Amino acid sequence: MISSWFSAHIQAAEHALKRLAATPVATMLSVLVIGVAIMLPLGLYSVFSNITAAASRLNTEPNINVYLQVAASDKDAKETEKLLEAMPNAADVRFISREVALSEMKRVASMVDLLTGLESNPLPHAFLIKPRSAEPVTLEAMRKEISALPKIDVVVMDFEWAKKLQRFATFAERIVALLGLVLGLAVMFVTGNTIRLQILTQKDEIEVSSLIGATRHFIRRPFLYYGACQGFLAGVVAILAMTGFIWWASAEVHALTISYGADFSIQYFSLKQALAVVGVGAALGWLGGFLSVSLYLRAHQAH
Amino acid sequence: MITFSNTIKRYPNGFEALRGVTLTVEKGEMVAITGHSGAGKSTLLKLAAGIELASQGSVLVSNQNLSHIKAAGLAVLRQNLGLVFQDHKLLFDRSVFENVSLPLSIAAFPRTEVGKRVRAALDKVGLLNREKANPITLSGGEQQRLCIARAIVNRPAILIADEPTGNLDQAYAATIVDLFKSFNQVGVTVLLSTHDEVGLARLNCRRIHLDQGKISA
Repeated sequence: MISSWFSAHIQAAEHALKRLAATPVATMLSVLVIGVAIMLPLGLYSVFSNITAAASRLNTEPNINVYLQVAASDKDAKETEKLLEAMPNAADVRFISREVALSEMKRVASMVDLLTGLESNPLPHAFLIKPRSAEPVTLEAMRKEISALPKIDVVVMDFEWAKKLQRFATFAERIVALLGLVLGLAVMFVTGNTIRLQILTQKDEIEVSSLIGATRHFIRRPFLYYGACQGFLAGVVAILAMTGFIWWASAEVHALTISYGADFSIQYFSLKQALAVVGVGAALGWLGGFLSVSLYLRAHQAH
Repeated sequence: MITFSNTIKRYPNGFEALRGVTLTVEKGEMVAITGHSGAGKSTLLKLAAGIELASQGSVLVSNQNLSHIKAAGLAVLRQNLGLVFQDHKLLFDRSVFENVSLPLSIAAFPRTEVGKRVRAALDKVGLLNREKANPITLSGGEQQRLCIARAIVNRPAILIADEPTGNLDQAYAATIVDLFKSFNQVGVTVLLSTHDEVGLARLNCRRIHLDQGKISA
């Protein structure tokens, strides 16, 4: 029983491969069309996964910078430090006096001329706080609490831009997922349409097979393999084309990021990712075949 | 084995091809349906093969009511029927061998068994030397014999043939008639339609005459 089931599947796969090989030009065109449809979400995935990888390397540790009013005295700073250290969410509080801040600024060559002309130190005392919890709600409450303290001028959370970039990357991932879904459906319909044309060329065979006892499974099976083979080949085409594109673009991207003082290279697809793309291509092709043949059989086989 | 009970077949345009046919073909029996063109012979055979459904009454084949049978059940039933079509229904993109092997592929026969059975069937109809040919290169008579080989290759319990000698010359028609007689002699139930009087005489079986969709004799 199992061997006859297995043999029926082998026979259907052979039949599908023969059909594909019998019309090489049509097969190549179909595979290219489906391959391009797979390449679009794959390309977007590659772009956004690289952005995500770059964003993950950025320091997103939450640091809170607290600047006192310029008029605040050393005594005020000491009192504020005590209040900050008493906050339950403050893991570490570092005091940066206005003198330290000024000397650090003087180390920056471009600032020397500007600062030497000043009669007094214009910088305020400041604190750098590392919070225990990075929860946005907790941090926002902490910001409000600090802002309400006496002698406080500004409270700045300097990690927010990095958080925004991460949020953008997460949003982009969702957009890619949505586009992937839409283009996945497109792949399924393109394959389905190719198979519909194949069905029309084989309608005599379907009719005869049905008349002499073929079940719907038997009739459907070669078309499922046909669709799966097309999807598989299209997946291979998409992966190869995208890998070629990454290879072509990576040197330029690397050089560009080096010029901005960063070291970033575009990531190639891993073997696991490549296999997933090929597998998804084959599965979508299979589904396209199933859809197409089922609709045909429903329309043409009342009994 | 095959039972028609007050069977009516009415087409969507209102034409009644069969008008209250009641007929039983016993297991192992051979019955010839005769009648003029348009008498309902082909319709009766199509109903027996489940290709058409009765509008009223019933058709039972191997105790299964074809009006109520599901698609999967009908497929299994057809695997036990040998069908010879008037228009042959051959696949011209496949070889003679592949055409005959189709019912065995459907029934998932092992490859070694397929080769043996196909060659035995082709030998019976005299086409063994043409197994690699494309059916389009065969004459009308050879195509008819190829259709018969496909019908008998899975050794069906019932053979339904629509004008099996219609395209054949007298000599080949006699061979085919003898072939049907030989199948019947080994227990195969045969239901066929013909208007070939010589063939009928040679068949020497029960005749059912249809006239305007009714049994007249």
